[in-house]
Amino acid sequence: MAFGRKKDTYKETERYEKMCPRVFFIYLAIIAFCVIVISPLVIVFSSSLRVPENQASPLILFTQFSLESYKQAWASMNYPMEFLNSVMTTVGSVFLIIIFATMAAYPIGRIKTKFARFLYFFFISGLIVPSQMVIVPVAQTISRLNVPNTRFTPMLMFITCSLPFSVFLFSGFMKSVPVEIEESAYLDGAGLGTRFFSVVFPLLKPATVSAVITQGLWIWNDYFYPMVFISRKNQYSLPVGMIQFLGDKENPAQWNILFAACVLCALPLILIFTVLQKQFINGIAAGAVKG
Amino acid sequence: MKGKKLISILCAAGMTASLLTVGSSTVLAADTYDTQAIENAGDITLTMMVSGTETQNDFETTVLPELVKKKWPNVTLEVTKLPDDNYYTALKTRLASGECPDIILVQPMYAGSNSCYGLAEAGYLADLSDMECLSLYPDVSGMTYEDTVYALPNGISILGTYYNKDMFEECGITEEPKTWDEFLDACAKIKEKGYTPIVMGDKDQYVMQFGLYQLACNVIYSENPDYDEQLRTGDTEFTDEGTWDRVLEMYNQLYEEGYIDAAQSLGTGASQAIQQFIDGKAAMTFDGSFNVTALKAEGEGGNFERGYFPLPGDRDDGKVYTATCLSAGNAIYSGSKYIDECKELLDYWHNGESDIWDAFIATGKYNMPYGNGVETSENYELFKPFVDLMDQGCAFHWCNQAWPAGTEGTMEELFSEMIGGQGTEVSDITEGMQDKFEDLLDD
Amino acid sequence: MTKKRKGNLSLVFPNKMYAFLIPAMAFFIIFWVFPIIQLFYYSVTNFNGINYDFDFVGMKNFVKIFENGTLGNSIKNTLVYAVVMVISSNLIGLTIAMLLNMRIRAKGVFRTCAYFPALFSAIVVGFIWSYVYMPSSGMIAGILNALGMDGSAFNPLGNFKVALFAIAFVEVWKGFGTTMIIYLAGLQTVDESLLEAGRIDGCTEWQLIRKVKLPLISSTITINVILNVISGLKAFDYAFIMTNGGPGKSTKTLMFQIYEIAFTDQKMGRASAFSVVSFFVIILITMFMLYFLNKREVEL
Repeated sequence: MAFGRKKDTYKETERYEKMCPRVFFIYLAIIAFCVIVISPLVIVFSSSLRVPENQASPLILFTQFSLESYKQAWASMNYPMEFLNSVMTTVGSVFLIIIFATMAAYPIGRIKTKFARFLYFFFISGLIVPSQMVIVPVAQTISRLNVPNTRFTPMLMFITCSLPFSVFLFSGFMKSVPVEIEESAYLDGAGLGTRFFSVVFPLLKPATVSAVITQGLWIWNDYFYPMVFISRKNQYSLPVGMIQFLGDKENPAQWNILFAACVLCALPLILIFTVLQKQFINGIAAGAVKG
Repeated sequence: MKGKKLISILCAAGMTASLLTVGSSTVLAADTYDTQAIENAGDITLTMMVSGTETQNDFETTVLPELVKKKWPNVTLEVTKLPDDNYYTALKTRLASGECPDIILVQPMYAGSNSCYGLAEAGYLADLSDMECLSLYPDVSGMTYEDTVYALPNGISILGTYYNKDMFEECGITEEPKTWDEFLDACAKIKEKGYTPIVMGDKDQYVMQFGLYQLACNVIYSENPDYDEQLRTGDTEFTDEGTWDRVLEMYNQLYEEGYIDAAQSLGTGASQAIQQFIDGKAAMTFDGSFNVTALKAEGEGGNFERGYFPLPGDRDDGKVYTATCLSAGNAIYSGSKYIDECKELLDYWHNGESDIWDAFIATGKYNMPYGNGVETSENYELFKPFVDLMDQGCAFHWCNQAWPAGTEGTMEELFSEMIGGQGTEVSDITEGMQDKFEDLLDD
Repeated sequence: MTKKRKGNLSLVFPNKMYAFLIPAMAFFIIFWVFPIIQLFYYSVTNFNGINYDFDFVGMKNFVKIFENGTLGNSIKNTLVYAVVMVISSNLIGLTIAMLLNMRIRAKGVFRTCAYFPALFSAIVVGFIWSYVYMPSSGMIAGILNALGMDGSAFNPLGNFKVALFAIAFVEVWKGFGTTMIIYLAGLQTVDESLLEAGRIDGCTEWQLIRKVKLPLISSTITINVILNVISGLKAFDYAFIMTNGGPGKSTKTLMFQIYEIAFTDQKMGRASAFSVVSFFVIILITMFMLYFLNKREVEL
């Protein structure tokens, strides 16, 4: 729990290891490893900067700098529209998840009865059920409720699938919010709603950051639910747009365009990650360590 | 599926209710439809979903909606194109959710999850028997279920052998092989010269059908055209001697002789195989007319001349049969609010002379048996031998069209085990196919 | 503070707090619990996913999947996939985390590199690795060729024995960064003074890891293993995008098989039976893991 603070004090005293053969070897190992991990991405990026017709070996990096492949990928993906759809569904879902999950975690984390404990496990058990398993009954349910197929339909499933982890995260975090604060608020005559929204919720901020990042990441990247529920092209999200390239027989070797599309698809997340790197790393760590 | 006894009324009531409404609208579609439906409809949006991959200036997703808008400014046609697997998933869940697009792509007979017969039986397709353009088609039997036409095929599809004419010449092969021995001979000559005779993308296992079905037409259907129907009645079985065992043996021979390199092909995707062909790295590939644009594209191999011939069998009489039959086609969802509007649109599209028709033919991918511009279309000459064979009655359906969906999957799976050296024998494959076939028909 | 009692008598946290559960509960029950119950119902019918005119068939679906071996094969593949993923992801993640936890320069850069693949959508990762694994002209084959080895022999996705490992490795590539970050966070809670004390007592680095670090981060190990097991058992994406279950049926995992039975074979009833069985398999494995790891945690 105190991990955030501890890290800072640790940082202050941080010194670097002195260079010696052992340390040198460690650097070498880490660098080699990182190069291996990153190399496919570097090749993808370098190839995406070539003109589509350039079939030279992609292993020779950065021989050409052209945005032609990007232009074509941009056009065939209808990028601005898909980007907007992705943003809308991701932001919308994450917003609602935070509200619903914190609300659900409130009684689960606070009430100390067997029933509350049961509810905790009830939600968590949802973690282990894969979406492929339930997709047909889910589609039927959605139709029976007369939910029309719009770009927002997948949000229902994004929210549902995110609940188990988010409830787990928030109820774990709820323990770190001192009960005393609430007790004094109670004595001041604050109702449940006020206490929750103005006392507890702000104190859950680290968990909220963590939930936004972990859930936002998978929702942005998910192709399965949009693929199943969205029928109109102008409602596609970015990953569904990418599916169009799957098994492309007309342009078998348009690797450069495909790679440009890959970069375009991941670009928003890369930018956000670059800016909010610290929050990402801490958020992911906090999400798991709390549990 | 017949003689139902519903155990849980609770769960099923809702579903059957929604189905019943669907069913009744099918019945209402009378002898003639309203051919002025669109003109009287006001501003409407029609939706259409097809499978395939989008291309630059794609016919279905770009050209068609524009032309429809031009013809009827009050109609907005929204077309979604998904790769095959995703198309199946999307179609199934949309049908389950009652949100199916107005026009959908279905395959002839029993083929695939979007089979005409399967969907028609479940009541999802509107009756198209009253459409005007039907009179132009010589034959729509593969789209006719219980005497009712449910879809308009997009012409004729062919499975054949694409080859590199320049490479054939270089290897001293002057004529297209007319018998199995000649074919093997040609492969041997090519291999001798150091080229790969045949490239296949077996990582996408469905491509195995391209070669196998051509052989099946020569070996099985030419002898017994009712073989598949008899499979359903139990009069024939996949394990019958001289049928599938022979087909699989012949096809496997190509792998054993190294004419197709299994070690390579099993890790190569369908599109990569096409690329290797157009790059001039292999002399032949088995593929369908639906991929002709890709196979004629210019690769590293330059603009070499390409030919297309039906894979011959080992018949004594020297006759060649081809796997040429109806293509997948458009059907109308029976729950659509705009059935007549869709019919009017499809009729206009398929009337053989409209601007939509012209654009449709100009794609060069659809091999229509009638209409303007067909004989001057880009690939007419390439496909003509197959169409001629068809006119002579030497063409049969693709095997999977007559099988319950999933049978071909078992065939591909077991066949790839065989060529992958997993110890699978021909008899294991035929038995596996028979088991799967019976299993799928069961219930 | 409230104490553990039979009922909830707390004034500060009364039962009416449960009202806060309503929105989450509604979503969860309607879109998750109810569909799962439906699966149980379909599993004893011959529903094909399209035609609602279906019959009750008893336990036939269950008997079939046991008999024809699809269940056994897909459970085996899923377990192999999960084990490969859990072990490699944790080993790599932990090793890198330990290295990065030392006082080295440019730690942030290395961490970013390791985590970077996690940002990409499975579909994009599938495309990228299809290229990496492509025979003859793919990245690895190309490198082998350049090094003067025979790249054309390199064909992992076409090899019956290797394909499953190859796609599991893709998932490791995408996922180990997350695992590593969680380990890094766990390691940073290890008190430096304990390690100092150990060093003064003459412990070797390996002993320090074995006797001090690992026990102290045992809860982190548990969480990482569980998270990886869960995603390993859900394996679907790369079998779907990269191999389509092939070659043969060597990469058909539980979820891929269910998907195929439901959407290709059109046997929703049987797919549901499959789902019901996998549901229990997954629960059993997860419970076993939790039990085993908790026990281990106590021992350590």
